[in-house]
Amino acid sequence: MIRVEDCYLKLGPKTVFYCKNFFAEPKSKIALWGPSGCGKSTLLNIISGLLRPDRGTVVVNGIDITKLSESQLDHFRGENIGFIFQTFNLLTPFTAIQNVIIGMRFSSTVPYSIWNKTAKSLLERVGLGNRLHNKPSQLSVGEQQRVAIARAVANRQKIIVADEPTGSLDPKTAGKVLDLLIELSNEHNVTLLLVTHDKTIADRLPILYDCSNLVREEDK
Amino acid sequence: MTLWGIAWGYLWNRKFTAILTILSVALAVALISSVLTLREETRKRFEEEGQAFDLVVGAKGSPLQLVLSSVYFMDNPTGNIPWEVYEQIKNDKEYVQIAYPIALGDNYQGFRIVGTEKGLFQHKWISPITGEERQPFQVAKGRIFEQSFEAVLGALVAKETGLDIGDSFISSHGFVNLPEVLGGHGHEQHPYVVVGILKPSNSPFDRAIFTSIDSVWDIHANHEEEKEIQSGKSPEEEGDIRYQEWGKNPRSMITAVLVQLQSPALRFQYREMIRESTVAMAATPVEEISKLFEQFLGTAKTVLLTIGYLVVVVSALSIMIGLYLAIIQRRRDLAIMRALGASRVEIFGSVLIEAFWITLLGIFVGYVLGGIVSKIVGLYLTQKYGLSVTPFILTPEHITSFATVAVMGLLAGIIPAWQAYRRNIARDLMEL
Repeated sequence: MIRVEDCYLKLGPKTVFYCKNFFAEPKSKIALWGPSGCGKSTLLNIISGLLRPDRGTVVVNGIDITKLSESQLDHFRGENIGFIFQTFNLLTPFTAIQNVIIGMRFSSTVPYSIWNKTAKSLLERVGLGNRLHNKPSQLSVGEQQRVAIARAVANRQKIIVADEPTGSLDPKTAGKVLDLLIELSNEHNVTLLLVTHDKTIADRLPILYDCSNLVREEDK
Repeated sequence: MTLWGIAWGYLWNRKFTAILTILSVALAVALISSVLTLREETRKRFEEEGQAFDLVVGAKGSPLQLVLSSVYFMDNPTGNIPWEVYEQIKNDKEYVQIAYPIALGDNYQGFRIVGTEKGLFQHKWISPITGEERQPFQVAKGRIFEQSFEAVLGALVAKETGLDIGDSFISSHGFVNLPEVLGGHGHEQHPYVVVGILKPSNSPFDRAIFTSIDSVWDIHANHEEEKEIQSGKSPEEEGDIRYQEWGKNPRSMITAVLVQLQSPALRFQYREMIRESTVAMAATPVEEISKLFEQFLGTAKTVLLTIGYLVVVVSALSIMIGLYLAIIQRRRDLAIMRALGASRVEIFGSVLIEAFWITLLGIFVGYVLGGIVSKIVGLYLTQKYGLSVTPFILTPEHITSFATVAVMGLLAGIIPAWQAYRRNIARDLMEL
């Protein structure tokens, strides 16, 4: 469960982010939709503990993350949130399987003894069984996104946040990646928050949250 | 995957710059390591050979020069002393266990010819370094000399000159092999015959040719006459003080006496007795060598180590700059790691470990390079002075210096690590 209330963050001299109310049930699949610069990524970063609001309440899986210290937030992210970004998702010096394993190493939710097995089976599940030992530079952008999806679900976290995960892909590949993301989030019973500016992508998810007015000029 | 593995991955990812940085650390460590190795090894060898005799008695002058010339065959002698001094020392049984006269004056291809007595070949002592008995005068081939102009070669002399049992050779006047135009000349009237070759002892004795003291006397008894025949000038005209002394009565003079006392504790007392009761002076080899290492070589060591540590500082700066630039290029990766749950401390640690990897590899490569340098210099020292050098040693000084380099490497990593520690992950994720 995710609950955001009266969340305020000053972004610039005159610009502020303000979210009156956002709520997500466990296992729900929500598209955070809106034009570029509307604040949808900011909302995602606040929910995932990457940004700390100036005031307001942000409760994720029963934890008010605004009250957590920096190190507690690191721990919180590792245990609760799986990330997928638009591009450059992977750590460049490491192979696909190492990227998934590094995710597990930092989250500490999966026992060390099954890191290798889990990473391998997930990469096989996303169709990269033959690319386990390829580095990001040897993978296409679509393949990199699939590695990121495998990494996001590997840690058995309850929430996956995906920030424009198909933004850099051609429509055909984007469709396949989105299908995979929805399938895996269903298989693993996780809450999916997907940021997109593309209405057709947003419409693929059961719930749409309109982020159009989250960032605004500050009232005097 | 551990933080060590992650740091190694990033290091390998920028291998070209990393290798250059590692090499700069390695060069500094090689300099430091080879200076420490060579100093320690030469000190050990000098001290080991210095223990061969409690005292060296010779003509008054520099005690160090006397020791270097008579024990290590490295410098010119301080002069000659009367044979009676040797007789007096030898018969002083209250203090002296054994004494050997030596007479120097000639060389063969730069190797010194040492006139002495057969008793020297029985000489042995306990090495202070290994605690084992040292007996460098063991004959490997042939026998020791019995008559005049029979020679026993040190192992290196035999190897370098190619002389073997039964071969003869002509000695040259002086301590270095000079061409005739520079005053060098041979004693053609008195060829030596090789009768024995010593086992290698890794000591200056490997570079000496031993013969009876009579041989040296016989050559120089006729020297005045030989010189006049060859140059048409008298020794006085040539200004050759040593040969003026030889010429007076060659059979009355020797270069030095090597003395083994009844106890090393008597060294100081007997040295004073020699000073007071004879025309000669006595020097303690171990003391003179310690002074040499502390004063002259100590300064050289300090200068070289200072240069080494300055190179370490430059290397540390290159570690810092390299890592700093790497962190800027890697900010996206660092942000992803933070998003995955890595703590600030883990990020700080991974960068610091990267600096440590560079330093550790630099120390390892530097130690190997330093060993190679020591090996090469050691070959030269063996060739020139008969001193063997073990190229790979690890003394407390080595460990301290490597630890210092490691600490400097880690300190160099702190600023980039701090930079990585305090990065704003949300901004770094949004920027790219």
